[in-house]
Amino acid sequence: MAAKKTMTLNLTDAEMAVLDELSEKKDLSKTAVLRQALRLYQMVNMRIDRGEKLFFEDEAKKEKAEVMVL
Amino acid sequence: MSGIETFVQRRSDKELVSATILEGMAATDLLVVENEWRAERSSVMQELLSAGVARPNWPESLHWDWSRKVPELQLLASTGFGIVCEKRWQGVMITKSAGYFTRLEPDKGKPLLYVDYLEVAPWNWVIPQINRDGLYKTVGSTLFWRAVQQSEEEGFHGRVGLHALPQAEPFYEKVCRMRPLGRDASKQNLLYFELTRQQAAGFLKMGESK
Repeated sequence: MAAKKTMTLNLTDAEMAVLDELSEKKDLSKTAVLRQALRLYQMVNMRIDRGEKLFFEDEAKKEKAEVMVL
Repeated sequence: MSGIETFVQRRSDKELVSATILEGMAATDLLVVENEWRAERSSVMQELLSAGVARPNWPESLHWDWSRKVPELQLLASTGFGIVCEKRWQGVMITKSAGYFTRLEPDKGKPLLYVDYLEVAPWNWVIPQINRDGLYKTVGSTLFWRAVQQSEEEGFHGRVGLHALPQAEPFYEKVCRMRPLGRDASKQNLLYFELTRQQAAGFLKMGESK
């Protein structure tokens, strides 16, 4: 694996609670959850920069909503 | 690039030959791969045409172009791996480590490592119709072993998923011991395979004892 650097991360209680929940649900360490989030955020941003759009679709309700990414 | 020492087997005399699995291929590496492999692909195509082999029996990755996969490497989620033996790229693989989730119970919904592309060099292809025996074997299975290992490193417990080209289906089912989970209409109707964490443990153990 590539060499890694260490950083300190300050999270609110609510943010930490979500990180704990995702870590438990996905069976990943907290670091791995944040790494996943960064990779997905970069992937989404690159595709939006290329002019693509991101949608959430509910097949049952036949609903489709565009996700605005900041 | 970091590397792991390994061996590949020369088909002609079954001798194990020293090789290196390299991780973190850059754009220039893929361009070198394509440059090295293109000429061999052309030779294979000429031989297939001369021998009158029907197109459905041609190697399904004959049209692949690794230089077109360069943008993939810009993603943090993508990693390029290659095996070098006797100063030539013998096989290449690109994996994705975000955005893919297990379909199989009991880990359904948990992340897995997705093998986006895996190909061995054209001189390693076995094509009996044109008397090509392939130079080295175990290149594909060694790359797959590295994917399982990467899955472990990422905290995915060895879970791996991929869509296989039809000619590669027996390889993933019998050699890699993956489970076929049906054809995927959103992916050119290719058969989707998964390796569970239990199967991964067995596969890694098998690799260590090689």
